[in-house]
Amino acid sequence: MFNPFEDFKDFLSKAKNLPLDRLAAAHDQIMGDLAAGYGKLVEQELKSLVWFVEHNRVIEAYKTATEVIKEVSYDAHSIEDFCYVLDSGTDIPYLISGPAGIYIAALCNNADEDAIVLRLGEMKRTLHFLGYRLPYGKSLRVEGDAGNFTGSALQGGEVTVTGSTGDWAGAGMTEGKISIHKHCGRNTGEWMQGGEIWVGSRIRGLGRVASGQIYQAGEPVGPA
Amino acid sequence: MENGTYRHTARKLYDFIQSNLYFNRPDLQVGGEQFNSTLLFSLLTALLGGKALIIGEPGLGKTTAAEYVGSLLYQLPAGTVWASEVSGHPEQTEEKIIGRPDLGKLNTGQEEVVWSHFVQLPVKIVDEINRLPETKQSMILDGVDRGNWEYLNEMILNDEYCLFATANYQDQGTNTIIAPLLDRFDVMVESRYPGPSYAFLISQRQEKEELLRHPDLERELQEVLKEKLPPEEKKSRLGAISESFGTYLQESLQLSTLDSASREKVRQHISAVGLDQDANAYARMLLAELSFCERHGQKRSSEVCEEGCHYTGYLCHRLRNCASNRLPVSLANYAKALAWFTDAGEVGIEEIRAVGPYCLAHRAQWTDTHLSLLQKDRRDDPLQIHLARQAISEVYQRYSEQAERVKAALANAYRIFQGEVLEPLAGDHPIYAEIRKDLNLEE
Repeated sequence: MFNPFEDFKDFLSKAKNLPLDRLAAAHDQIMGDLAAGYGKLVEQELKSLVWFVEHNRVIEAYKTATEVIKEVSYDAHSIEDFCYVLDSGTDIPYLISGPAGIYIAALCNNADEDAIVLRLGEMKRTLHFLGYRLPYGKSLRVEGDAGNFTGSALQGGEVTVTGSTGDWAGAGMTEGKISIHKHCGRNTGEWMQGGEIWVGSRIRGLGRVASGQIYQAGEPVGPA
Repeated sequence: MENGTYRHTARKLYDFIQSNLYFNRPDLQVGGEQFNSTLLFSLLTALLGGKALIIGEPGLGKTTAAEYVGSLLYQLPAGTVWASEVSGHPEQTEEKIIGRPDLGKLNTGQEEVVWSHFVQLPVKIVDEINRLPETKQSMILDGVDRGNWEYLNEMILNDEYCLFATANYQDQGTNTIIAPLLDRFDVMVESRYPGPSYAFLISQRQEKEELLRHPDLERELQEVLKEKLPPEEKKSRLGAISESFGTYLQESLQLSTLDSASREKVRQHISAVGLDQDANAYARMLLAELSFCERHGQKRSSEVCEEGCHYTGYLCHRLRNCASNRLPVSLANYAKALAWFTDAGEVGIEEIRAVGPYCLAHRAQWTDTHLSLLQKDRRDDPLQIHLARQAISEVYQRYSEQAERVKAALANAYRIFQGEVLEPLAGDHPIYAEIRKDLNLEE
């Protein structure tokens, strides 16, 4: 008997490969890689059970972070997405603000893009160390608030925070510019060696500034 | 002659008619080209040997479109085409349409039929077919369908013919065209008002019909048609005169035409045009919607579609009748002819969508509810073509949403039919239920 479906004998069903599916798969892969890198950093840092902000610890953590992200392929958008992954707390079992911020800073400093925007206004928590060691030629714009040590050890880059920051903003920075549109906390510019910090509104307290300039609402306020 | 040369000749004929004889606006776009639907479908009808119903207001070129196309495509002088036309009116008789007894022979006790020119010539034009009373429309059913004409105990079988019938919109003098006759038309097109500019142009070119006249050849054809000759000899002599007219057209208008053998070749080329899988699956999906009824097994014009059926969103709910088997034949033939004419290579969804409304318009009997909902739509087409066009677009939209699944379902059905143990693919469309029926599986 004649097969009425003969015309479809050679039909090969091709599952619809929507661009969105490809993008989602690629995005999941990147998030997985970034989470794995962060996991390695946390594993290293958790050996001492409690994480202290000590100069050497920070340097060591940054070095580790830089190492673990070498094999990860990512872009500026992935960094922003990963911030929310960290914030959600579902995929990352232990968000430790210090190492997490250093990890994000390492990602920004080693990203291919020179201008990075992190829209973090929807985050429940703030990340410390954003803009840490940001090198010359790079800019980081944080839309929302940032935590402590924002722009610390800045190395010529430009950090902009559209909201407020915590304490120790620009601590140990050598050159570059930090602009904070709203308020910032205590010890702002502690051991600052150069560069500029511009704060739009209140500065809770200045640190011991060695060199450079701090401005509040356009007026120079430090060093004293 | 090569396929491309035939196509070139056909295209030149279209251009010639459009530029010199039948002035009207383009109203159809296919493959990035603009066509006038009446002219295009008349030409495809002549090429295919199909049947076209041309509707429209009186005096808007219905009959003349058919005459020009018939004359040029079949190498017949206009005068011969006119002389063979049957005009529909209440007093029309079988003797005038088909044939009559040879009265001289009858007096000597012999029965012989004198066939009408309409029956003998390959171009058949019935003018104002809807002025024929319904009872007399039945007389031409068989001839229209198969080219098979009978009178007394004699029969004439047309090897090659095309039929054009024109119909005015309903008025006091018109009748309804009976559904079986309507279904036999492959396409229905409207010869529309050409717009004031073309209409004015027509008034300036009143001599245009003379281009296709040739009184000497018309007389010769008349003589041969009257003679009682064996069919083959008559065919050969008519063919020879037609070719002379073709030569005349070449010399006077530098216009190449197609002789009988060339037309046969064209039909072979058209027939060889394939359908891609999307066109194939889309056509099946369309046919499923035009014939499906979950409750009663299929659409029947005597049965009412109930409310509350799961398939109320599909065309079947808005139709009263079932698509006949002539619909897919018309759809495939005209889509192939269009693909050949536009050099598309094979029939795709575009060709099916282009010819679909014209193949469906006269065959679909929509419910009163559906008619009342859409008859006030803003539109350029007459209501029947508008409704068919809407239906074709709607099914296309549904097909676009599930094309891969429909094709997968058909491919899967192929394997089940071949004996593989598989479950048919399910989905929310009558096509999936029809596939199950084809496989003789219970719902």
